[in-house]
Amino acid sequence: MLTELEEKIVASIQEDMPIVHRPYLVLARQIGVTEAQYLETLQSLCDRGVIRRFGVTIRHQKSGFGANAMTAWIVDEDRIETVGEIMASFVEVSHCYRRNPTGSWPYNLYTMIHGTDEADCIETAGKMSEKADVRTYQLLFSRRELKKTSMKYYPDAI
Amino acid sequence: MHQLDDTDRDLVNLIQSDFPITPEPFQAIGDQVGLTASEVIRRLDTLKKNGFIRRIGGNFVPEKLGFVSTLCAAKVPQDKIELFADTVNEYPGVTHNYLRENEYNVWFTFIAPSMVEIQDNLLSISERTGVRDILNLPATKVFKIRAEFTLS
Repeated sequence: MLTELEEKIVASIQEDMPIVHRPYLVLARQIGVTEAQYLETLQSLCDRGVIRRFGVTIRHQKSGFGANAMTAWIVDEDRIETVGEIMASFVEVSHCYRRNPTGSWPYNLYTMIHGTDEADCIETAGKMSEKADVRTYQLLFSRRELKKTSMKYYPDAI
Repeated sequence: MHQLDDTDRDLVNLIQSDFPITPEPFQAIGDQVGLTASEVIRRLDTLKKNGFIRRIGGNFVPEKLGFVSTLCAAKVPQDKIELFADTVNEYPGVTHNYLRENEYNVWFTFIAPSMVEIQDNLLSISERTGVRDILNLPATKVFKIRAEFTLS
């Protein structure tokens, strides 16, 4: 799917870039290519959508977005497209997915809502419920972070 | 905690996505916000050291790298939470794992080369922990993914 060079570049850019004047030169040397080859291939991975987002990742807790609630909704399947789009249009929502319901868990739409605190998330969910006309939902606040890391793709590539 | 000034906010808002892919990216960023490259580096270094910035790098679409991803939820008895969390967290493909307030109280994301591998791992987690009720909820449609937050 990816070339050997592309896998190396993914592996080299999936953690933390050095904050120095020529960061790509440092990364290129680590995998034994020129800076120009590195930049060209990295740009191509972005252009093809393999890299969804390239840049700074911030810690929410320190940025005024202190609370988040995974919210699960039960939506009529024949309205799911419309409802999904409405939910996704809220700026407070970072993620919105449809997932298959199961016998013991009948929810089929999921949104991640961010706010200054839990009350703020509850209020946003209320507005979403109103606007999308979906009345059955649950906010699942996180009580403890058990793990948070980024995926290490191709650990043996470099 | 270190307070961000307006320049810090402008900087971060500018490079949460579309970080420049040019030989001297910090120079390019500086040109846009009216700072020298060294000043950009100094500010980002500080934001990194005080924990405001988690990392600078790529975020990938697992499917485009030949991987699959899913969300799992488990009903774990109170006295098994530590065992269950330790067991699940051993897998490098488990990237996020949270204790949540619900009967399904442990929610984690799982990335692997195939869904068969994920199913096998879930079975093995069940056997090792005695937790039988684990849901596998892969997304069938993505309406939105945005990991950027405009700071104001």
